[in-house]
Order: sequence, then C-alpha cells, then structure tokens
Amino acid sequence: MNKPEIINILDRSQNGEYCTVKEWDVKRIPKAVKEKLEKYELKGVCDPENPVNMDTDLADRFFKAGYEMALDLGMLCETTDRIIKVSKEELDAALKKAPSELTVGTGEDATVMKTRTPSDPYECKFGASLGITTSEEVWPALTEGIARQKAVDVLEGGSLKSIYGLDVIPDAPSETLVGFEQAKQHVEIRKKAGRPGMGGIGQISAVTEYGQFGGYGIPGALPITDLSLILFPSELKVNYQTLHKVVHTLNVGGMIFAGSPAMIGGMPGPPEGAVLSCIACALLQYPILQADVGGGEIYDIRYLSNVNRDGIWALSVTHQALSRNTNLLTHGITNQVSGPGTKELLYETVVGVSTIAASGATFQTGPRSAGGKLDDYLTPLECRVCAEVAHAASGLPLDTVNEIAKTLLPKFEDSIKDPHIGKIVHDVYDLEKFEPKPEWQQVYDEVKQEAADLGLNL
Amino acid sequence: MTEEKYIEELRQIIVEGDDDQAASAARAAIDAGVNPTTLIKEAINGPMDDIGKKFQNGDIFLPELIMIGDAARVASDVIVPHISLEDQDAASGGTVVIGTIQGDMHDIGKNIVSAYLMATGFKVKDLGTDVTPKDFVRAVANENADVIAISTLLSTTQPLFDNITKTLVDSGQREDVYVIVGGGPVTPEWAAEIGADGYGRDAADAADLTRQVLTAGKKPPFDKPLVIGALKQ
Repeated sequence: MNKPEIINILDRSQNGEYCTVKEWDVKRIPKAVKEKLEKYELKGVCDPENPVNMDTDLADRFFKAGYEMALDLGMLCETTDRIIKVSKEELDAALKKAPSELTVGTGEDATVMKTRTPSDPYECKFGASLGITTSEEVWPALTEGIARQKAVDVLEGGSLKSIYGLDVIPDAPSETLVGFEQAKQHVEIRKKAGRPGMGGIGQISAVTEYGQFGGYGIPGALPITDLSLILFPSELKVNYQTLHKVVHTLNVGGMIFAGSPAMIGGMPGPPEGAVLSCIACALLQYPILQADVGGGEIYDIRYLSNVNRDGIWALSVTHQALSRNTNLLTHGITNQVSGPGTKELLYETVVGVSTIAASGATFQTGPRSAGGKLDDYLTPLECRVCAEVAHAASGLPLDTVNEIAKTLLPKFEDSIKDPHIGKIVHDVYDLEKFEPKPEWQQVYDEVKQEAADLGLNL
Repeated sequence: MTEEKYIEELRQIIVEGDDDQAASAARAAIDAGVNPTTLIKEAINGPMDDIGKKFQNGDIFLPELIMIGDAARVASDVIVPHISLEDQDAASGGTVVIGTIQGDMHDIGKNIVSAYLMATGFKVKDLGTDVTPKDFVRAVANENADVIAISTLLSTTQPLFDNITKTLVDSGQREDVYVIVGGGPVTPEWAAEIGADGYGRDAADAADLTRQVLTAGKKPPFDKPLVIGALKQ
C-alpha cells in the first residue's frame, strides 16, 4: 500500500509542537512579523498616496521575508494546538510540484488558468459569485443568471440558507444534504445556461466538511473537474474541518482551491505585516493543504473590506510578490462593501479587481455585494463587471492601474465605513429575462464609460 | 506617592498591556488607600476611548488590544473585591458569556469585543469559537451570566442564533439573560427576528451596547433590540 503524502501533515497535526491558539495569535505571529519587517526594512513602506505598488523590488523583498516567515512559523492546527511545520526542502518541493496551468471544467466551456506575472496579457480568470446567502426561491434563477454572463469563467453562486425549507445548520445532516442537492442543481444550471462544461466551485452552503462529503467528487455531485473550495482561519491556522476537506478532495482525485485572509489590523498588525502573513500563508497552502490554486487574500478588520487604500496597496504588493517569484496559480478577492444598484459597488469593483489582475494573480472570485451581509443582495450584473474588469485589466501597466485607483478612490472611500447596502436582487434585476432593470443598467453604462476614459475598456 | 501617581502608574501599565505588572500595581494602589472605584474608573475604564481611537486609526492592532484587555482583567480581579458589595455590580459591569456560533472558527471579531468588554470592566467568559447553542445556554447558569454575546462572520451559521434564543425560552432562562448579537452578516432586522435584545455593527460597539441593555431598566427579553450602527439603505 502506498502511503499518501498527506499522512505526514496529518501526523504533525496530531504530534507537532504544542502551542495554544492564544500564544500563536498574540505572541508568535506578531513576533515573527516584527522580526521580518525589521530585517528586510519593510516597516512603514505602505504608500496610501499610491495605492497600487509600482516598486517591484519592494515586492521581491516582501516575498523573501514572507518565505522565511513561512518556514519559521508553519501553520497551527487549532483543533489540537499543534504546529504543522515544514522544512525548506518540503516547501521548495511543494512549490515546484504545484501546477502552473490548470483546466477547470470540460470541453469548450472549460477555463484554462495559467500562472501570470504583473501586467501579463494572459487573462486573469474570474469565478462568480462568492457564497452570499440566498433564499431557495431566488437561488436557481440567480445562479443561472450568473452562469449566463459570458465573461464569468467559473461558476460558484450563492449559498443556500435552507434546503426544502429546512435550515442548513453546521454539523447537522442538512449540511450533507445541501451539499448533494445544491451540487446536483449546480450541474443542471450550467446545462440550462448553455455552458455544460463550465467549471464550478464548491461546496459553499455548508461550513463544515459535511458539505464536501455530500457534494464534491461523488456520483451525481460536483465533478472533480470543478474546484473543491477549502477555506481556513487566519492567521496561518488550519483545523480538522480544513483537513477533512483536503483528505476528501485527495481521496476523490479532485482539485484543491484553498484560501484564508490575512487581516490588516489583526494579529500581523499593519498593512506590511498582513502582506507578510498573506505571502507565508499562500506558500504554506501547497505543502500543507496540497493546493492546486492558493489564496492571497487580505482584508482590513476595521471595515471587513480591502477596497480602502491600505487594502489595495497590500493586495497589489502580495500578488506582485507571489507572481514574480513563483509559478503558482494564485487567487485574490475584492471585498466590496456597497450593494447592488449603487455606483460605489462598481467603483469598488473596478479598483479592487483591476489591482489584483494587473498585479499578476491567476484567478479571482467575487463579488461580495453589500459586504455579503444580506440575503439575496447580489445580481448577475456585478458578477459580469467583475469578470470584465479582471480580463480588461490583465495587461495594464501598474502605473495605469494606480492612476485608476487614485481617480476612483475619492468617489467611494469615505463611504467604506458606512456603505450603502443597495437593493435586493428583484428590485434591480429581472431574473426571468436575465437582464438588469434600466436604472441598474444605466449605472453600469456610466461606470463603464468612466473606466474607459481611464484606459480600462470593459 | 500621591493617589494620582498610583492611578497614573496603573493606567500606564494597562495601556501597555502589561498583565505581569497589572496585579502588583493594582495591589500597591489599594494598599496605599486609593479608592477602588476611582481606580477602576480612571485607571482601567478611562483610557479606553483613546485606545479605541488608536485601534480605529491603525496605531495599535489586535494583539495589543487583547493584551490591554488581559491587563485590565488582572487588575480588576485585584480591585473589585475591595469595593463594597452594593457597588461591585456597578464597578464590574456584569458577566458576559461570549463566543462564535457553531461552525464558525473566525475568532477575530469576538476577540476584539472580548478585549473591549474586559478593558471596560466587564467579567468575560470566553467560550471560544464553534460554540454549540447548548453550550451557550449551559454557560448562562454555570457563569451566572447577565449577557450572552454571540457573533459570526458566516451568514450560513445564522439559523443557530435562533436556536439559542428558542432554547433559552424553552429552558425557562430567557428572562435571566440579555442576548446581544453582531458580526459581519448580522443585521438589526435579523436581531429583531430572532428576539435578541441588542445589535452592534462593530466590535467596538459591544461595550456600549452591553452597558445600555444592562441599564435600560427592563428585564429581558426586549420587545425590539437596541441597535447601535444601523445599516444605510
């Protein structure tokens, strides 16, 4: 019997060095961040006046520091209070082994993701939406509406709050059921939208591993040509939920799409610290979680967003660092806060998504309309805009994207703390005709023109 | 050393989050005859407005906030027993049981709330992350809690909030404890729907909200929740 590689990681999650979550959070992460920021002279380099970093040497210094931090820290398994450390040889081998090209989906509808560099003309791919909660009544048409957006490369769709009227509750059998039922419908919806081979992402309605067990890689559920979504807690922590999902995905021969946000203002402190933590986290996903696509997500805990100046700067440096120094397939998220029907949502989208695309990320998912706070506050139009921006911004020089950010940020940054939540889907989008209502279409047309005037042609 | 000096010294130790020194500084102040209620108000609660602003401005970060909360808790443990019994409730604020709901492992928002509550004089029992409704309800009796504070970052865990308020009603404990809620996807409307007594949009709102529900002069449950930070339509 061949021993699976993951066994070494599982062993460390049970028998690695003991460390409490509190010690990890309050002592080890801040100490490691402080050391690296000092050693590489990275303290205070965040430049809010130029939110998109244009100094690629700086990005490379961040990469070196983040790489060292990954080796110094490893990840903590918070279920067992054990540290999963990896050696330099293991990390380098995992980064070498990770794919630099990946096909998601099948046939003509499939999406080919490739490793990119800053301003790379090969398109940054886009998957929509994030798992914003949706009612059972709205979910099928809304998901079909998203699948019908030709610009959207990969389908995720919202999360279901209930299944056949039963609330989906963590750890309850309703999670296993929603995993399977949603996956079945997801596959059918792609056919209805005329894109049967379109790649998908799942499982999203269940928070625990039961959704994956019920909905990914088993007969009748999401196929292994879709991405298995495996999220884990910040900073640099995994748990048995995460590892169950990894083992299941490996068992069925699927593709692991991992991610966890580093938090500006959280344990790593300032934007520079969050960049380091994010780079370390992105790298460690390959040896520890055997990721095929790995996350480079950053949020600012003061706003649960990243469309503020600190957030945009941190995203730009992180993706430049990863894309210039590895051949990984990296992923980013723009965390919008405004809701459907508002101009601010589209401005936030243009600034965030173009920054990540031009900085060299392979793949993005979104949007998080209305900050993901409200049921059914999501429309296919902003999904389309996200994808169009990701594609259009891919070849743009960093200084052009910086100018776009500098021009548009003043139009929405004052409202990030107290954003407009916008309107529920039915108020601004016709889910029978699959088209936006006139006022939402008009907002789109205006922002599209403004973007074009700034050199971003959607 | 004057009374002001003792207060200033403890205040400085709290602001620096030095929980090793907090107990000895608090004890020294008490031994020197500093009024314990004044000590709580001026050395522990006093700096919190400034600390909150520094956190919001990005001048201090979550680890510092947690350490400040720890130092405040250590100092309070020394000081509160020296306050007359009738004033202890007012000085200690009350007991808050806090946690993230089952299925949610995101502890950052909860940690901020917990630090704010401790630093402003509340006794906090932190149940951690991924807490089942049953464990929340059990903690009400075990900790003699005045308030349950529940948060989540995941909209998919929200049905369990409802489960907590229902279980409190079914077990006959709903009138013993206030329920306050918050976190990314939680809204004032949702708080009303599940019968919560308070809603706070930001972690920094939690201490104000807790104080307001406890001093509202009404027993739980409230007809509608007190809301701090409504969403902009």
